Amino acid sequence: MPTYELAMMLRAMPKVELKNSLLRISNAIFERGGIIRDIENLGFRPLPYKTSAHGLVHREANYFVFKIDTATTVVSDLKEEYSRDVDVVRQRVFKVTEELEHKCTLEEELLPPAYRKEVQKMIEVGKTQVNRFTHKFSYNSGLDYYPFQK
Amino acid sequence: MALFKGTILKSIILNTHRALTAGIRYASVEVPTDDSPVEMENPFTKERRQCILCKLNITPDYKNYRLLSQFQSPYTGRIYGRHITGLCKAKQTAVEKEITKAQNCAYMPYTYKDKAFLKDPKLFDPENPVRTHRF
Repeated sequence: MPTYELAMMLRAMPKVELKNSLLRISNAIFERGGIIRDIENLGFRPLPYKTSAHGLVHREANYFVFKIDTATTVVSDLKEEYSRDVDVVRQRVFKVTEELEHKCTLEEELLPPAYRKEVQKMIEVGKTQVNRFTHKFSYNSGLDYYPFQK
Repeated sequence: MALFKGTILKSIILNTHRALTAGIRYASVEVPTDDSPVEMENPFTKERRQCILCKLNITPDYKNYRLLSQFQSPYTGRIYGRHITGLCKAKQTAVEKEITKAQNCAYMPYTYKDKAFLKDPKLFDPENPVRTHRF
């Protein structure tokens, strides 16, 4: 079961209702055999842009992030369920990827163009291409007429 | 004939002299002295430059929208390019990806910078890019 992050934006509502809708959201995950690793509350704050959901315009939202483990086939089903939920203003699902070992390549990128690997490769490719400015049509091509306009 | 012999003798003497000197030189190399040159790395090589995110070992995350907003123009909300931010290729693509994610999640605005973050410290100067602007 891969790990996903569910970014949920819930509409402005009293605490009791908020608790109920959070319960509803988590129960939907449990019913489909998923696990919740963590629930993060990023607070109640104004949206950077107004959003309309279920016939209402929202300018503020409760931000939550659910870290869950579910089967890949379940994700679309969950999204569909939450899209029908009136309390959910906006929802996004992201797959959590492992961090790869990475070495900074800034030094190589700051070299003058002639010393950069990618530029050298580009020049090599350019040498194999026909130069259309200096290329001359050869008449021994098997055609008995000149194919271009003179 | 005598002349010829003389030349041969001369050449033999000369060659032996060369051989002798060569032998002496080899011997001198083999004996290590305190003054002999030491094998070492070039002491004048400059320190490897690193981009700010690699140096501080930060992986950009869409939930950390305060950091991401530092790579955004305060006037238009557009993401600054690599020639301005001075990031390495991998980190720049990661930042761009995470910014689009954050904007999608309504953590971050598309067309302006959050006014609470306007006085955050500047990581780079857009007026003085690493490489020149097109405009």
